[in-house]
Amino acid sequence: MSALVIAVPAKGRLQENADAFFARAGLKLVQPRGAREYRGSIEGYDGIEVAYLSAAEITQQLGQGAVHLGITGEDLVREMIPDADVKVVLIEGLGFGHANVVVAVPQAWIDVRNMADLDDVATAFRHKRDRRMRVATKYVNLTRDFFAGHGVADYRIVESSGATEGAPAAGTAELIVDITSTGATLAANGLKVIEDGTILRSQANLVAARGATWSAKVRATARIVLDRIAAHLRAREFREVRTRFAGCDDKLMAAARQRFGVATPFGGPTSSGMLTLHCPPREIHALASFLRDHGAQAVVIADIDYVFTAENALFARLEAALNR
Amino acid sequence: MPAPRQPDARANALIAAYEHAGYVRVEPAILQPAEPFLDLSGEDIRRRMFLVSDAASAELCLRPDLTIPVACDYLASAEAGKPAKYCYLGPVFRDLGARSAELMQAGIESFGRTDTAAADAETIALALEATARYGLGAPDIRMGDVGLFAGLIESLDLAPAWQRRLIKDFNRKTTLAHDLERLALGSGARPEYHGVLAALANSDPAAAHAFVTDLLSIAGITTVGGRSVGEIADRFLEQATLGAAALPHETRMLIERFLSVAGDPPAAASSLRALARDAGIGLDPMLDAFEERNALLAKRGLALQSVKFATAFGRGFDYYTGVVFELHDPAGRADGQLVAGGRYDGLLARLGNVALPAVGFAIWIERLAALGSRA
Repeated sequence: MSALVIAVPAKGRLQENADAFFARAGLKLVQPRGAREYRGSIEGYDGIEVAYLSAAEITQQLGQGAVHLGITGEDLVREMIPDADVKVVLIEGLGFGHANVVVAVPQAWIDVRNMADLDDVATAFRHKRDRRMRVATKYVNLTRDFFAGHGVADYRIVESSGATEGAPAAGTAELIVDITSTGATLAANGLKVIEDGTILRSQANLVAARGATWSAKVRATARIVLDRIAAHLRAREFREVRTRFAGCDDKLMAAARQRFGVATPFGGPTSSGMLTLHCPPREIHALASFLRDHGAQAVVIADIDYVFTAENALFARLEAALNR
Repeated sequence: MPAPRQPDARANALIAAYEHAGYVRVEPAILQPAEPFLDLSGEDIRRRMFLVSDAASAELCLRPDLTIPVACDYLASAEAGKPAKYCYLGPVFRDLGARSAELMQAGIESFGRTDTAAADAETIALALEATARYGLGAPDIRMGDVGLFAGLIESLDLAPAWQRRLIKDFNRKTTLAHDLERLALGSGARPEYHGVLAALANSDPAAAHAFVTDLLSIAGITTVGGRSVGEIADRFLEQATLGAAALPHETRMLIERFLSVAGDPPAAASSLRALARDAGIGLDPMLDAFEERNALLAKRGLALQSVKFATAFGRGFDYYTGVVFELHDPAGRADGQLVAGGRYDGLLARLGNVALPAVGFAIWIERLAALGSRA
């Protein structure tokens, strides 16, 4: 394994999102013979191999160290990899593929609001029927750990590989643990999420396998890739704000930092009063008003593509994990 | 050192002695249906089991213990329902991470004996024979009786919801202290439903039940899953009756005092008699049985003063119903208990609707065998 192997989702929304994510980071994934080819590369980079796999396979291969980097959901990492924190490192959440793993019970269970209620109901259910309440899920490990953490013992897991939300109506389980993004599917199936029943807030992550062979060459390649991704991620969090006015001083800058969370990539204003700020998107209007109130004539705000900084935070995270 | 794949000579001699004592040697199948293990031991055991499925996708496993397979074979045999004694020696399989997954276990099971105290005493004596054969004449004996806690809770005038909760918690030690705390503090206000609950608090149960049932159907909520509307209404109303009430202080103190009883069995018995007298609760039949067992153990030559009895001692599996015990190496050389067992009168009923008493134990052969080599 002399090339850096990056595993990306082979189909569906996750693939589109991952593809777009890499493209925005200036890394164009190419599949040589179209969608049927399961090995690809990144345009303009030698020494990188792209493996197209299902999200479950990506997770498994990360756990085994068969690939270096991969994009997969945290839910799968926590579910499928025993000792996940030893085997892999979650380098960064990518801002897509958001979903929560939740405990959902029938809406008719008006007496069940939290896990303590569920615990009590489970015990009563077993006393009454001489069998355990069934929980349909594909998240066997997450469910078991979460239930154990709440002292719930009287239940059985029924493994489900699809349409878990239909299990209570179909009579194959009393409740479910499943992934949901809006809760609409659960509601349509007459289910509700219980109050303290959110097991995990998951999103797609860039994950590194600690067990892979990280040669000096692979590390060097990873540094370049992560540098690109870090520059993109940082750019995504900010808008660039440019202005010029005489009244700008340190006190004003401190106020801007504190009130709007702005960063000053190049320090304070130049001798001619030119100032460049990086501002979180949700604060740009407030910041523009603030600057004009203090004498700025014009404030120009633009999207930015990349912010390359001297330090490469993502690579630093990888190195720290590999050297652990 | 690789784990021995064949039982050593001492294990074979031990089994021969059990056979001589009237325990029929059985050899259940290695591959077993997974369901009984998961149903009886709960989901926690799943992570330690080697699960496979056959072509018809029935869930099977490599047997993680031998008690359940021996019981299942007994229930399927012509002997089912009659008193029977079995012994076994063979591998069990557990996923223990880095350690060997194949473990040699021996043990006995005694089904259907109604002379409970005598059966308990015989079982414990046979367990001690195992450690003796491996040169450990005076193992550390830890003992408890799950039935005592159940009896105490039954004798207290507690809401059924609290009773089942405390019994469940006792089997899972981690939550018991926490739950006692919580019950003693009261469940607190339940603001969202406070109006309905208050309105229903003093109405007659049948009317209240009908009201909640109607409420659900007015709201267009149909039942899905295994709980009926009646069941939901019942528990909803149970919560209403409990309201924000707390476990009375003296009840909590009594439970805590009970759980702090520890010492040798005769001393524990007199502490429990004093406790029952002070609290004015009737535990006599239960304590009589406890003392009968102690007397029979003494008669078999067991030095009771060396037994570490504790009312809080349990084995973490909720199918135990009476005495529970573990034998340990006093020098702490073994990685866990050497022998463990107890009474599980509910087991056969759960597995096959045959309500019969059962008592037995399992022996960790490799742990015993390693004692000599590590000494």
